[in-house]
Amino acid sequence: MSRAAGSAAGSTAGARAPLRWRAFDAWLLGAAAALVGVVAWRLDQHLNYQFRWDSVPGLFVRQDPATGAWVPNLLATGLLTTIRLSLWASVLAALIGGAIGLMSTADRLLPRMVARAYVELVRNVPNLVFLFIFYFFISAQLIPLLGIEAWARTAGPTSRAVLEWLAGPPALLGNFVSGVLCLAMLEGAYVAEIVRAGIVAVPRGQWEAARSIGLSRRDTMRDVVLPQALRSVLPPLAGQFISLVKDSSLVSIISIQELTFIANEVTVSTGRVFEIWIIAALLYFVPCLLLSLLFRRFEGRGAPRAPD
Amino acid sequence: MTPGVRTRERRARVGDTLWFAALCVAAAALLWRGVGQLGYDWQWHRVLKYLGAWDAAGFVPGTLLRGTWVSLQLVASAFALTVLLGLVAALLQRSGSPVGRAMARGYVEVVRNTPLLIQVYLVYFALAPVLGIDRFWAAVLALALFEGAFAAEIFRAGIEGVERGQWEAAATLSLSPTDTYRFVVLPQAVTLVLPPLVNLSVALVKHSAIVSVIAVAELTTAGRNAVSETFLAFEIWFTVAAIYLVLITAMSAGARALEQRLRRGRR
Repeated sequence: MSRAAGSAAGSTAGARAPLRWRAFDAWLLGAAAALVGVVAWRLDQHLNYQFRWDSVPGLFVRQDPATGAWVPNLLATGLLTTIRLSLWASVLAALIGGAIGLMSTADRLLPRMVARAYVELVRNVPNLVFLFIFYFFISAQLIPLLGIEAWARTAGPTSRAVLEWLAGPPALLGNFVSGVLCLAMLEGAYVAEIVRAGIVAVPRGQWEAARSIGLSRRDTMRDVVLPQALRSVLPPLAGQFISLVKDSSLVSIISIQELTFIANEVTVSTGRVFEIWIIAALLYFVPCLLLSLLFRRFEGRGAPRAPD
Repeated sequence: MTPGVRTRERRARVGDTLWFAALCVAAAALLWRGVGQLGYDWQWHRVLKYLGAWDAAGFVPGTLLRGTWVSLQLVASAFALTVLLGLVAALLQRSGSPVGRAMARGYVEVVRNTPLLIQVYLVYFALAPVLGIDRFWAAVLALALFEGAFAAEIFRAGIEGVERGQWEAAATLSLSPTDTYRFVVLPQAVTLVLPPLVNLSVALVKHSAIVSVIAVAELTTAGRNAVSETFLAFEIWFTVAAIYLVLITAMSAGARALEQRLRRGRR
């Protein structure tokens, strides 16, 4: 939009300069080519590294020696785990964030203080450090307490199949659930901030109007405020979902076997450092970019009207 | 006589604050007991050694405080590079050069749509051997590349926030585009850009924890080492979290103060 405006009104002061090829472009291209050349030369001469992309497809699918069927291999299962992890964690984060966001807009001080404490703690400590703390609780105490791993072991074939579709291999269920919980608790704090901002942004007059027609606080929230807050909350929530997909790579540090964890293992065992990390980066980049382009389109279409 | 609305409100506030304090104490007690019942032996006194100790020569900082210092050095170096990268990317995005614009756009999109962790691994395992840099500078480069994409957005907004009349005035004086940026636009963009940039440096402290995966000797790495030495997972991680909390809250308070000052100055 700004691009079109910039080229249409080229002389407008302060607008972006109109696109035109100059010597500068040739210079930039030359610099980029030189950089690539130096990297290639260093790789070849000093590190003696040869790219071998032919081994990469085999990391996605392999043929089962027993049945001859094609089954997903390491990287594909890692990607599937990342997708499952992101979906479940975002559902849970929405619930946590919604509850805490509502608490932080309450009339009473107590819920506000509890909500603030949670949000400020999570947002002012590195995610990684929080992950370590959560992990010790969840993985060492909560998961054995829930007994879900034992349940997964004794479940019937149908429920095992459903479970595998929803949460990956049953043998890794405890591992997967702790990843989901850790991620959801972190992202929940960010979602809570978004929800709070959305509710606060609903004009005061809406509350007053609801009160003047005799609605209770609960009905005001449900029928008047939340429907309006939803509209301003959705775009940042969509952005937060993309952040969650990216942050899901963090749980590889606590040995949750998702894409980054698997990529790390594969580079260690094969030594194909460049290929694997570039592929792993692409596996995050392409879905995240597509999602953000999609969300940007929706946002442009359903833009909220100016407040009157 | 019934107490007035004001008094009742104040009483409710005090009551809720007390409730909150009680909840905090209850949570701490629950943690203490719950973890203790699993055979965990709380040994807070052993954490002190990792913070520092006094000997004949004076105070000797322990690994955690030395790690904090490395974290701050890391953040300072990365921030300088972030500002440079962000400014260049923002100017390229505003330029009329098709190649420059595409490069800046590509850089921002790649950084924003891949996890920081993957970027750190890529820079450390792939780029660092090629460039021949050590892990500290690999960490600086990775953090700066990441944060630079966000700084670019801040600079873009700052430059576009300068009033149109200023551009027009510069054009009337027939200043060249370079001179317009140098003498008119950028000096005025500084006040717009400074508060979000300081916030970015706070985020940088938070993100710097991630480079512990490549074993740069900063605070989180110091924490991980201390945990594997002593198995005091809770004590060490709570201490590390507290150090970060103090650092980050202090910096955000500074950022807020700066923002208010600048806003007052503009009026």
